[in-house]
Amino acid sequence: MAKRSAEFDQVALVHLDALYHLALRLTRNRAEAEDVVQEACLRAFRSFDRFNPGTNCRAWLFTIVRNVFLNRVRRGGREVFEGDTGILESSAKSATSPEPEGNPEEEFFQTVLHGDVERALQALPLVFREAVILADLEGLSYREIAEVLGCPVGTVMSRLSRGRQLLRESLARFAREHGYLRGRA
Amino acid sequence: MTCSEFEARLQLYVDGELPLVETGAADAHAAECSRCAGRVHGERGFRRRQPREAAPPELRARIVDHVRRAERRAVLRPWLVAPALAAIAAILAVVLLLPALRETPSLVGELVDKHIAYAQVERPAELASTNPAEIEEWFRQRAGLGVLVPDYSPAGIRLVGARLTEARERKAAYLFYEKGRTLLSVFIVPASATDAIGPGARITFRGHEYTTREVKGYRAVSWTDGRVSFGLVSMLDYDALFECADRLRAQREHQTSL
Repeated sequence: MAKRSAEFDQVALVHLDALYHLALRLTRNRAEAEDVVQEACLRAFRSFDRFNPGTNCRAWLFTIVRNVFLNRVRRGGREVFEGDTGILESSAKSATSPEPEGNPEEEFFQTVLHGDVERALQALPLVFREAVILADLEGLSYREIAEVLGCPVGTVMSRLSRGRQLLRESLARFAREHGYLRGRA
Repeated sequence: MTCSEFEARLQLYVDGELPLVETGAADAHAAECSRCAGRVHGERGFRRRQPREAAPPELRARIVDHVRRAERRAVLRPWLVAPALAAIAAILAVVLLLPALRETPSLVGELVDKHIAYAQVERPAELASTNPAEIEEWFRQRAGLGVLVPDYSPAGIRLVGARLTEARERKAAYLFYEKGRTLLSVFIVPASATDAIGPGARITFRGHEYTTREVKGYRAVSWTDGRVSFGLVSMLDYDALFECADRLRAQREHQTSL
């Protein structure tokens, strides 16, 4: 009888930290993140039969977490995606160009404080934030991210590069504020 | 691969999404170009620097608990669903019928139910007495009720006793009589302007109108006189009940005229 829940523990709940982390990044609120993860896990358990053991369980769970989050946002009558994604995504082509001053990336990121990364991530509009988290932190492939977000792989790529660029810009600004980095304001 | 070609592929390369045919060339370029190698290192470092927070242990415990419970419910469900649905249906039926049910407990219906209930009891009377005056006095002292206890002995109906009861949520007098082994209940209930005796046939006997009704096999004769309602319930036939009613009415008239 308890076989199914034991299997769920082994296959799904091992990803709880990652689920919580994603929920935290989406909600930006610990209590809400816990609620989202709890609801998502119960949903996942109820539809665990439909999960194909050969596929990426983490990506499947991320999809559920994200759906639960979006449903709650919609139910609360809140705006789902902050920022004008159209404008942001259209300018994504220039995203891959590195710092023109030629600061070695390695050096640059050594100047970045832990709290700054947190702050920059939180400030990122949701469409970019979720793509960046799934790729950079969770190491999902573009295809898996596209499945989680329900969008084409090309969109994942443009969101990722735009999101990273925005992150980098925020971090450079913070670094200048701290006096670690000189240069253009 | 040139530096600009490598830069154009940097994200894909670090993300491990570069097509296999290009990965070799990119590897080779990163191996010989320290600037591009630095970018790769920086990109990887940047990704690693994104802070991660572990799920609180309470959350884990809560989820495990909920999952176990969901599993138990899932196991029980096939047996639970049918009775649960039946219960819901029953509740719905009661709720829907409630307005209809609320109308049926007319005063007469309520009195018949009491008659049936006390007919089962061996000694239904609180005060066992064959003396009308004693019973009248008992009601006066006990509940402040001015009750006239009729004397039916000429018709062979014997007074047994009395008890205080409630009808229409008001204190009422309940008198017990017997004819042989047949019980006759006489209820004397303070009336209010709002209540009605209830449905039944209107029968005039010696110039007075009575409401008659058969409920659950018992015959009931009732009427309202001034601020008091009377109800007689028995298996006795209507003729006997009308006689009893008429006698009670006559006795009251006699008393008030004194």
